[in-house]
Amino acid sequence: MLEVRGLYAEVNGVEILKGVDLSVGADETHAIMGPNGSGKSTLAYVLAGRPGYEVTAGSVTFDGEDLFALPAEERARRGLFLSFQHPVEIPGVRMDHFLRAGYNELRKSAGEEQLDPLKFDRLIRSKAKVVEMEPAMTKRAVNEGFSGGEKKRNEVLQMAVLEPRLRILDEIDSGLDVDALREVARGITDLSAPGTSTILVTHYDRILSYLEPDYVHVLIDGRIARSGGRALAKEIEERGYDWVEAGAGA
Amino acid sequence: MTQHATAIESWSEQFHRFERNGAETGPAWLRDVRRSAFSDFERLGFPTARKGNEPWKYTNVRPIAESSFALAEYAQAASAGVDLHAYELPCPRVHQLVFVDGHYEPGLSTEPVSEAGLHSDVLARRGDGPVVGRLADAIEYRVPLVREHLGRLAPASGNGFTALNTAFLRDGAFVQIPEGTFVPEPIYLLFISTGARTVVTHPRVLIAAGADSSATVLQSFHSLDGGTYLTNALTEVVTGPGASLRLCTLQRESNDAFHIATTRMEQARDSRIASVVVDLGGRLVRRETATLLGASGASVNLCGLYHGAGERHVDNQTFVDHAAPGASSNEIYKGILDGSSHGVFSGGVLVRPDSQHTDAHQVNKNLLLSSDAEVDTQPKLEIYADDVTCTHGAAVGQLDADALFYLKSRGIGEDVARNLLMHGFVSEVLDAIEDGAVRQHVEEAVSGCLGGSG
Repeated sequence: MLEVRGLYAEVNGVEILKGVDLSVGADETHAIMGPNGSGKSTLAYVLAGRPGYEVTAGSVTFDGEDLFALPAEERARRGLFLSFQHPVEIPGVRMDHFLRAGYNELRKSAGEEQLDPLKFDRLIRSKAKVVEMEPAMTKRAVNEGFSGGEKKRNEVLQMAVLEPRLRILDEIDSGLDVDALREVARGITDLSAPGTSTILVTHYDRILSYLEPDYVHVLIDGRIARSGGRALAKEIEERGYDWVEAGAGA
Repeated sequence: MTQHATAIESWSEQFHRFERNGAETGPAWLRDVRRSAFSDFERLGFPTARKGNEPWKYTNVRPIAESSFALAEYAQAASAGVDLHAYELPCPRVHQLVFVDGHYEPGLSTEPVSEAGLHSDVLARRGDGPVVGRLADAIEYRVPLVREHLGRLAPASGNGFTALNTAFLRDGAFVQIPEGTFVPEPIYLLFISTGARTVVTHPRVLIAAGADSSATVLQSFHSLDGGTYLTNALTEVVTGPGASLRLCTLQRESNDAFHIATTRMEQARDSRIASVVVDLGGRLVRRETATLLGASGASVNLCGLYHGAGERHVDNQTFVDHAAPGASSNEIYKGILDGSSHGVFSGGVLVRPDSQHTDAHQVNKNLLLSSDAEVDTQPKLEIYADDVTCTHGAAVGQLDADALFYLKSRGIGEDVARNLLMHGFVSEVLDAIEDGAVRQHVEEAVSGCLGGSG
């Protein structure tokens, strides 16, 4: 589904990614771990197409298509979804208006009929129930005045409505207490339709006990220093990133 | 003044012709008021951006001073072709007055007010509906409020434009909400320019809201068909104790038109005015909105939205006079400036020495969508009392890049995303319009202007 080959990228002229290789197949969950500043979020942003993140070398294909030839909105229409570490507050723009605009763009590009406000209201209500969000929240301005937990839950709601095939979750566990974490993780699991793949970007092991990854990759200084299974994450939790770094150097 | 000598001469000829034509009747006092106003104009001329004339620093009215405008003749034909459909409010009942090129149009207005309706003894009764009628009728039937307030709140001697408006005062709209009356339907004053070139109109409005009355008044200025004309509007508003008045102004003049508008309000104890002004048209727009909070408990909410496109110049000047203790004011003005447009906002707040416990807040935010667009914004706070809460803030920026990316990452294309953000930016102002039908009407006009839907 996603093939990342020798990816280099810089932000403000500073090289952050220094040759990332990653292959994600259908129905797979990959965890990308790493210390602060290792390039985890940069990788997520580069894949989603955030302006200011410049790819200097390498390639990424999504279902065989050159991802970098597509603007951010086209990537989303093809089924790529980024859950933001810090979801943006947009005063004056109502959640349901915003999400209907996105939903209809996806339908349009899939050649499907668009939903009018009434039908979409039914959809968003049913999805809000799935992610255990108060339907009244969807009438509020996007993320405005939401708590950290509400913002993350809102990302899950958007995922529930847009039904992406590749989900990149950038530190979806940050700022969540253990109960909120469990609920968000459950939402993510319940929303996994067959064929859905997930890239979990995280600093800590704790969310991985809810979302069992098939593969764990450790990103150190812009490169994947080590890959393995679930056991690798546990080992990092016990021994820290220094251990991997030492191993990578050896 | 000498630089505009010829122009003033042409106004002078016009004034004398206007007088010779009997100015369509009117009592002697009104003739005196007009004459005095015209001599004010001769003395003042048009405002200039000269040193020491701070309020006109950014707005050069020379294009107006150097043009010669003629009063529009009454032409039945012009009105006959007016299709009001596009201007209709989305509600079943409305008190509507329509003026075409400055002339009252009975065929398009919903309520010709009866003579009885204008008699003062009738007006004094509680619980009657509003009086929405021609100012000319109110003058003719000697409605005491007219003598009392006309030209008092906005003296002709204020500047050249208010002087001209009063000098050519003949008709306009008169709105009176009797004491204790709640008017559920919007009162709609519609001023249409047919687009005849170099025509001038001086729309005049007097609104008197009695004690504990409540009403919504929408003033709307539209152009049928382009044209370089001048609208020189003047509105006076007075509220009784405890009155609640919601005022909205929608300005969609031609892109070549000049629009000068002066609104002066005076508020009694515990009265509340919520004003929303929306400027979407015009080549040169100058809008002054001022209120006198003359007694304790009075409050005013001033909101504004201006959209600059092409070479539009749009200047909003607000002034809140806190002349009594315990009054409050809140201002939110927002501008979206594109093309090589120029926005100006100046927010004056005066807190007089005895006006303790004043609560005054002011915000002006601007979005610059093009590198050629510019804005000048300045708060002008004069505070002479010590126990007050006053805040002000101004911001000038572009569309939030992070928000734009957030929207795109959900599949929303550039144009729709920008449009959503612009609508989000202006929603705070539009949400301040309390009447649902008026809000919907104005929202549609704004959507039509910003493009797309919101």
